[in-house]
Parts: sequence; C-alpha cells; structure tokens
Amino acid sequence: MTIKSSFAKMVGKSTYFVLTKVFHRGGTSLPGTLAMKIDPNVLQTMANQYNVILVTGTNGKTLTTTLITRVLREKYTDVITNHSGSNMLQGITGTMLSAKVKDRTQKPLLVLEVDEANVEEVSRQLKPKAFVLTNIFRDQLDRYGEIYTTYEKILRGIRLVPEATLFVNADSPIFMRGDLPNPRVNFGFNHVPAKGDERAPHNTDGILSPTDNSILSYHFRTFANQGDYFSKTDDFKRPTLDYAVTKLNQLTPKFSNFDLDGETYQIEIGGMYNIYNALAAYTVGRTLGVSKTQIHHAFESNEQIFGRQEQIQVKDKAVTIVLIKNPVGANQVLEMMKTDPDPKSVMVLLNANYADGIDTSWIWDAEFEDLKDMNVQALATGGERYKDVYVRLKMSGFGDHPFYPSMKQVVGAIEKMPTKNVYVMATYTAMLQLREQLAQRGYLKNHQMGE
Amino acid sequence: MAKYQINAAHLYADLMNTYGDYGNLVALRYYAQQIGVDFNVDVVSIGDEFHDQKYDFVLFGGGQDYEEQVVAADLPTKSAAIKRYIEADGPFLGVCGGFQLLGEYFLLADGTRVEGISAMRHYTLNQPHNRFTGNIRIQSEETGQIYVGFENHQGRTFIADNERPLGNVLSGNGNNGEDHGEGLIYKNVFGTYFHGPILTRNGNLALRMLAIILKRKYPEIDWKAKLAPVEPESF
Ligand SMILES: [Zn+2]
Repeated sequence: MTIKSSFAKMVGKSTYFVLTKVFHRGGTSLPGTLAMKIDPNVLQTMANQYNVILVTGTNGKTLTTTLITRVLREKYTDVITNHSGSNMLQGITGTMLSAKVKDRTQKPLLVLEVDEANVEEVSRQLKPKAFVLTNIFRDQLDRYGEIYTTYEKILRGIRLVPEATLFVNADSPIFMRGDLPNPRVNFGFNHVPAKGDERAPHNTDGILSPTDNSILSYHFRTFANQGDYFSKTDDFKRPTLDYAVTKLNQLTPKFSNFDLDGETYQIEIGGMYNIYNALAAYTVGRTLGVSKTQIHHAFESNEQIFGRQEQIQVKDKAVTIVLIKNPVGANQVLEMMKTDPDPKSVMVLLNANYADGIDTSWIWDAEFEDLKDMNVQALATGGERYKDVYVRLKMSGFGDHPFYPSMKQVVGAIEKMPTKNVYVMATYTAMLQLREQLAQRGYLKNHQMGE
Repeated sequence: MAKYQINAAHLYADLMNTYGDYGNLVALRYYAQQIGVDFNVDVVSIGDEFHDQKYDFVLFGGGQDYEEQVVAADLPTKSAAIKRYIEADGPFLGVCGGFQLLGEYFLLADGTRVEGISAMRHYTLNQPHNRFTGNIRIQSEETGQIYVGFENHQGRTFIADNERPLGNVLSGNGNNGEDHGEGLIYKNVFGTYFHGPILTRNGNLALRMLAIILKRKYPEIDWKAKLAPVEPESF
C-alpha cells in the first residue's frame, strides 16, 4: 500500500527536516515600510519573514493554536498568533504588521488558526512550513458541507506545499486519505492495549477505509471516529504513532491528568477532546525541540486559556455553561459530565438561529440517553426551540419534564434547581441570551459576553 | 418481553446517518412501547445480507454524497430482497438519499450519475447552484394531516405515475420546486426530504406508520383502537 509505505519514510525524515531546515534558517528583519497598504504581494513578502504553522480542522482549533503558541514560547523568543475571523488574510497581515520581533537571528514563528475553507488561500499566500490537522467532524450541514469535501479543501492547501511537515491526529482515519508526499508526524492515543475489535456506533461519520471504502474496525476508540482503527479487507491500519497519550490517570470536568510518552501531564480543563489538543501541542513542541519540562510549564501556566467552560454562581448554585452545536461536540460534553460523580441538575437550551445552525435534527444523533447514568436529579429544557429538545428527551426515556420557552424562566428555574451543581448545555445564541439574563440579574458582574 | 414486536432494519445506518434520521426509530419505539409493542432494530450495512422476511419496517436515511456513492455500489447485492420486501407491501421510510436510491437514478452536484435500484420509477436531478433549505409544511391529500419539517437538499426528484406525493406543499419547496409535491408514497413505501426527523416532529404520521406496520404483521388485532389514546407529539 503506497500510503503505508510512505508513512514510514516520512516519519523518519520529519524531525530532522523541521529542526534543521525550517527553523534555523536565519531570519531577515521585517521591512518597516510595510505598515501601509495591504495587498497580496506584500503579504507574500512578509510571509517570507516568518515560519508559519497552520492549524486547521473542524473542532479544537482555537485551543490547539493557543496551546501550541504557549508551548513554543517556552523555547522561542518570537511566537505570534492570530484569532481566526472572517477577514482571514487581512487579519493575518495585521497580526504580522503589529508583531514586535525581539530576536532578529531567527525567523519568528507564526501560529495560525485557519478555517478549513481558507486553508488553500492562506497556503498559497503564506507557504506554511507545517500544518497541524486536528480532526474533521461534521457540523451544521446547512452551512459547512460534507466532511470529505471539507478535507478536500484542506488537501488543496497542503498540496501547494508538498515539503511542509504535517502534524497529524492519526487517530482520525480521514487524514490518511490523499496520498500526500509531505513529511508527517503522527500523534494519537495508545492508552489501552490494542486488543479489541469493535465498530464505531451507527451515528458516527468518517469511518470508511481510504483504501477501499470498507467500514473500519477499531482495536479501541477514544471517541467518535477516532482511535486505533484497522481494516478487515486489507492491511490498512493506523500508522505508528510518533507521540502518544500512553495513560489516562484522572478525568474530571475541571482537569485531566494523563501520560504523554510515559510522563504525567495535567491540563486544567476536562474532556477527552482537550487532551487531543494538548497532545497536538506537545507533538509540535517536542518536534521543535521544546523540552518536557518546558511543556509542563506551558500546560500549567494559566487556567484562563482554557476558557469556554466557565462557572457562574447563581445563588447557591455553581452553574457550568457548556456549548453544544453538533453531535460529536454534545457527546463529548456528556462524556465530560460523566466524569463528575456529584449529584447534578441539567438544563438543555436549544436555539436554531444562523449561529446555532438552523437545522435542529442533529440533536437526534447526540446521545442524550447518556444522561440517565450520571446522577442527574433534575432535568429541564428551554430556548427558542425548546419543543424540539423537550421531545428529544421525552422520547429518550426521560418522560415529561419542565420546559421553559423564555430565558427569564430559565434563570428562575436554575435558581430553584435541587442540586448545587448545575450544568447548562446550550447552543451558541442560547448561551448568549442566557448570559444576558444572568447579567441583568447581577450574576455576571462585568457583563462579559462569550467569545 | 412484550407479546408483540416490530423488527426494524436500519439500512446502512453507519453511512447514511447525516441528518438525525435515526430519530425516526426513536419515535416509533416511543409510541410502540406505549401500546405494549417491542421495537427492535438491526443495522444492515455494507456486506450484510438483507433478509426481507425478517423485517416489519425498514428505515433508509440520508447521507453525504460520498457515502451515498459507496452505498449505491453495495446496494445491488440487496436490491432483489428490497424489491421483494416492497412488493410484499413492506413498510419502508426512505429519507432523502434513502428514497432517491430506490428510484432509477440520481445526479450528484458534480454531474455524476448514480444508479438507484429501480425498485420504483422516480428519478432525481440536481440543481448545481441552488439548494432547497428551510422549514417546510405539507398536507396529505388522503388524510388531510399536516406535516412539518426541515428540508435540505440539492436533488430534485420527479415521481412516476404509479407514485403519489406524501403531501402537497403549503410552504417550502418540496421534491423539485415545480409540481408542489413533497415526498412520495408507493405501496407502503414512504419517501421524504424532511429532516427534523419527520416522525419525531409529526406524531400523526408516526402513528399512521405504526398502524400500517402492525396491521400488516398482526391483522387480527384492532390497532386503531389501541393507538387511539396515544398522544402524538408535534412541533
Ligand atoms: Zn437531505
């Protein structure tokens, strides 16, 4: 199999490639005169002054980008990063223009979070030295299209730079498609023995073998379509991992403790998906010579980088708001809640505005049935599409339960929930509306809105 | 174990699973349990045989273009049994790609022609730069019932003389945006572009399907009477 044999070659080359050729080339100084008009040529010229690492995939880009930046800053003086936005190239140009480069002896690193749809254009302009591929899960299909189409968009960008190193989540079989010549560094999970033989649950996507489109089996799965996969129709299987999670020590909603290549690390956030993000950052860092001690330091340094899951005190309730937007994400939130053994109340809020995805049918693919096994004392639903989610839970064995069409009622209900521990699973605009209400009632002091 | 049971096949459940169509099974089970009927589901996928005698209901959901082509390539191995099932009045719900593939052919966005199994005679064209997306309401001619859902399709289906639409479009696009029909009915095959999923959002249709399934399997029982007190959900 060509894919497989090329892996072996690439893995060997990659570390040397990245370390010697890419990052120690000796930089030139940034022409100061560029701080004017933005045009593509300017961008290309400026891009030459940087070593660009492009982070893409459907989920986890932001945290992965942040973690990679943190890790690299432990060793490199000049590491700059962007915040992904609609005006991609202009934003990147702005980032480069405003960067203050301290060390002129080597090119600064530019770690960029790039939406799948923009990978081709960004690659053409910036010629990245490396790509980090996190995962591809389907999102609201009325907007984002199909996973193989999404991957095709990423491939078009990578194909423009065949010499760029790929840092690949090798637990995700879709990334084995495309027969790319690029050097490759694979990361994934090896936390249990590769003994099992299972298939992904029926509502998982991206489970086809790249060789013959047969349905893949797994020695073990981490979640969704990720894990140690293999084919039963030919010799296709997950490639050998260069960097791996070797043990899960403790998973809680607030932190995860795990081993990377035999050494223990901790991040101050729950959720298996966040361990993947940390693993990606570790992989990039180790490949670029960041020491384990430095990575420890980067992971431990600041809790705030993990954002998104914040706790708000509502009377005597500690309320954790978690964002849900698609089945894989919602299932991961449910898995995270399972790691909290305490009695809890759960409120599920569904909106279907543009930013939430206007099609609500995805809630039927999320495994809300799991709420049964996690010590839930009270369950309620709400939001503009409360009826959808109410019926979803009702039909899943939870029967009649309270539902709240207005956000005012939702806050009132939260105040009266029977446990101190409250989880709110909410789609994006429902979360914003809830925060607005909480702010009005004085529960959110500085009235920060979400990202 | 309940005295009565429905054995359902979820065709290519692990490939044609993009739009929550699985919820249709959740809904049928929810209503069946209320009248003491067990509802079992088998996944019948690539390489599996479809035993038409074994099943009382078949769900064939929608998927992404890529998976749909993979499924189309496997379908000929099951097409004889599926045709036997349909001609024997087997209750069947096909959503989106799941009913397109029962017809003669469909065209993908890039023009690729994908052969269906021609169990029925409808066919599906494509509209390269447009997509029918949004909320939709239809009315059934024979029952007067109104069904609501969310349509999201690029395919434009044209039904044959021996097929009739599931309902007439009150608002939205329907099969092709031209003939005011949505979905199709042929014998006990129901086809639709509705996501949402259709049987979760339209309890009236779920109960209608359940009555068809049970009457075919246990003709001696008065299912209408048993189903009468069941409260349908709709939203
Ligand atoms: Zn569809």
